[in-house]
Amino acid sequence: MASTQVILPLPILPEGWTGEKDFRPFSSISTATSRNIEPVGPHFLAHARRKRHQRTFSEDDR
Amino acid sequence: MSDQEGTGAASTPPERIVIGIAFGNSNSSIAFTSKEGKAEVIANEDGDRQIPSMLSYVQGEEYHGTQAKTHLVRNSKNTIAYFRDFLGQDFKSIDPTPCHASAHPIEHESTVAFSIQESAEEGTHVPITVSEITTRHLRRLASSASDFLGKSVNAAVITVPTDFSEKQRDALISAAQVAGIDILQIIHEPIATVLAYDARPESKVLDKVVVVADFGGTRSDVAIIASRGGMYTILATAHDYSLGGANLDQALIDYFAKEFTKKHKTDPRENTRSLAKLKLEAEATKKALSLGASGSFSVESLADGIDYNSTVNRTRYELLAGKVFSGFTRLVEGAIQKAGLDVLDVDEVILSGGASHTPKIACILQSVFPEKASILAPSTSATAINPSELAARGAAIQANLIQEFDKEDIEQSTHPVVTATPHLAYAIGVVAISSDEKHGIFKPLMEAETAVPVRRSAQIATPKEGGDVLIRICEGLREIKAHKPEPKPKVNGNKPGNASDGDGEDSGVSDDDEEEIRQIVWKAGRVLAEAAIRGVKKGGKVEVGVNVGEDLSLSITAREVGGKGGVRGVVGRPKAAENGSA
Ligand SMILES: Nc1ncnc2c1ncn2[C@@H]1O[C@H](COP(=O)(O)OP(=O)(O)OP(=O)(O)O)[C@@H](O)[C@H]1O
Ligand SMILES: [Mg+2]
Repeated sequence: MASTQVILPLPILPEGWTGEKDFRPFSSISTATSRNIEPVGPHFLAHARRKRHQRTFSEDDR
Repeated sequence: MSDQEGTGAASTPPERIVIGIAFGNSNSSIAFTSKEGKAEVIANEDGDRQIPSMLSYVQGEEYHGTQAKTHLVRNSKNTIAYFRDFLGQDFKSIDPTPCHASAHPIEHESTVAFSIQESAEEGTHVPITVSEITTRHLRRLASSASDFLGKSVNAAVITVPTDFSEKQRDALISAAQVAGIDILQIIHEPIATVLAYDARPESKVLDKVVVVADFGGTRSDVAIIASRGGMYTILATAHDYSLGGANLDQALIDYFAKEFTKKHKTDPRENTRSLAKLKLEAEATKKALSLGASGSFSVESLADGIDYNSTVNRTRYELLAGKVFSGFTRLVEGAIQKAGLDVLDVDEVILSGGASHTPKIACILQSVFPEKASILAPSTSATAINPSELAARGAAIQANLIQEFDKEDIEQSTHPVVTATPHLAYAIGVVAISSDEKHGIFKPLMEAETAVPVRRSAQIATPKEGGDVLIRICEGLREIKAHKPEPKPKVNGNKPGNASDGDGEDSGVSDDDEEEIRQIVWKAGRVLAEAAIRGVKKGGKVEVGVNVGEDLSLSITAREVGGKGGVRGVVGRPKAAENGSA
């Protein structure tokens, strides 16, 4: 999908903020819900192809 | 379904000629995808694109489609109609109501059949099973498509309602097989419908919630679909098996029958043949009312040899059918509720099915949904696709996508191993600063109900002077905020002398009429990670990429647009112990 444009600015980095290589992990995402994707359409076909070949998005891009 | 992995295809099977088929209880449609990639619905030899799913047997002759439908008047007992939903069912579990004016379903061995006099000889009734009649119907459809394409059709993608059981699907595949049609894939009607719209060249791939409201002849079905980057997940469905275009016909039948009874002292509804004539004409009048401001109604020899001519205008019709319309709306609202959503969450409402041509239905739905939602129906959108053609078009598009694939490939890709997928419980996004307030605003980058793996990116503005900025990635909670608008200061409304009365507490007629304003607001929830980008130049932007892996691990990249380096980091997947704690 195309990149979203966000017009509102990012906050200024708080004084004293530190992180290893400027990154700080906090918490993993919430547990997901299991649902069925409909096996229809071009984007699903790409998804199925990645899944069956265990390829990532970027491998798929190449 | 990969195209290039056939491990040395040794034998070349006969060329696949594939079409899309929409098979309804009332009508069926056939479609193909042209060399230019455009889906087109095929007209049969009668010139019909909506082909009644009916077969009639008259003196040894088989009639199909519209020709069979006209036999409902004189030859109803030998005309088979409204049978799709009986396929693959036990006799005990079917509702025979739609067939009361055509051949009645009977119990036959373990299945459903119709007792038909197939040959010209009197008294030679034979049971024709619902599988057999489906085979004959599909054979006629395929043959019309073959005539049109000049090639013999041997494969299809076919649509079914979302509540079609495994048994019904199997019965459909077998019935098609006997007709010489290899069903490459069965797809859900509302998904075919969404695909028909999304396949248009001007469509953009967006994250959106789509409602497909399918108002057919004998039934109505609603599906709430999370459409995420072109992939579709059904969140909820609702069905009404006794609500459809036939109820609209009935409203007109009752109206004209009463008028006729008043004049001629005989109720045409009491005579089978008169009733059949009323039905056919009411349907034609109803269709005319979808286009024009009035519809004429005329039947030769309606009852007691009396011809009948009348008209009805649209306003009257909409009153007569008011209850049916509210039934449609209620079904849609119920489905949204079932999905745990609000009308405000809906971006697109696609009206499909023949009854969706009715302008009033689209008009009522328009008032139910917020303004941002597009109501895709002929009367509300100039670019709407014919609601009667959506399912068939979608099937043809899917057929075109998979026509080169091995059967085995298709089966593997549609298997739950591939389709059952974790979906995000919450939106994931980034915190930005609103221009006037000091606190952050959550901007979703990926919506809840998005299947993983998924990646999204955004380019985000930075403070005027650039500098060091914070990227805070968190989950977002969508809330609905309701508030009454500020009461407007009254200029003329108040009686003189009342001016000193407290504003809020007048017994007020007009204030309570103010509609509540409801809107979606995002609240930042669980913080997932933070990153810093330092020394952004004046006017610079930061590109943030978020990637959720199949195992729900999160990776984040951030860099100044046009800049070098940047930050990347990973947040591990949720621990099993956390299951359900969200
Ligand atoms: N232009 C129109 N205006 C109003 N109603 C229409 C119009 N065209 C078709 N219809 C109605 O649409 C209904 C048939 O819809 P559709 O072809 O989608 O049915 P189906 O899915 O085959 O039926 P079912 O719901 O019985 O399975 C009929 O009641 C028909 O009269
Ligand atoms: Mg239908």
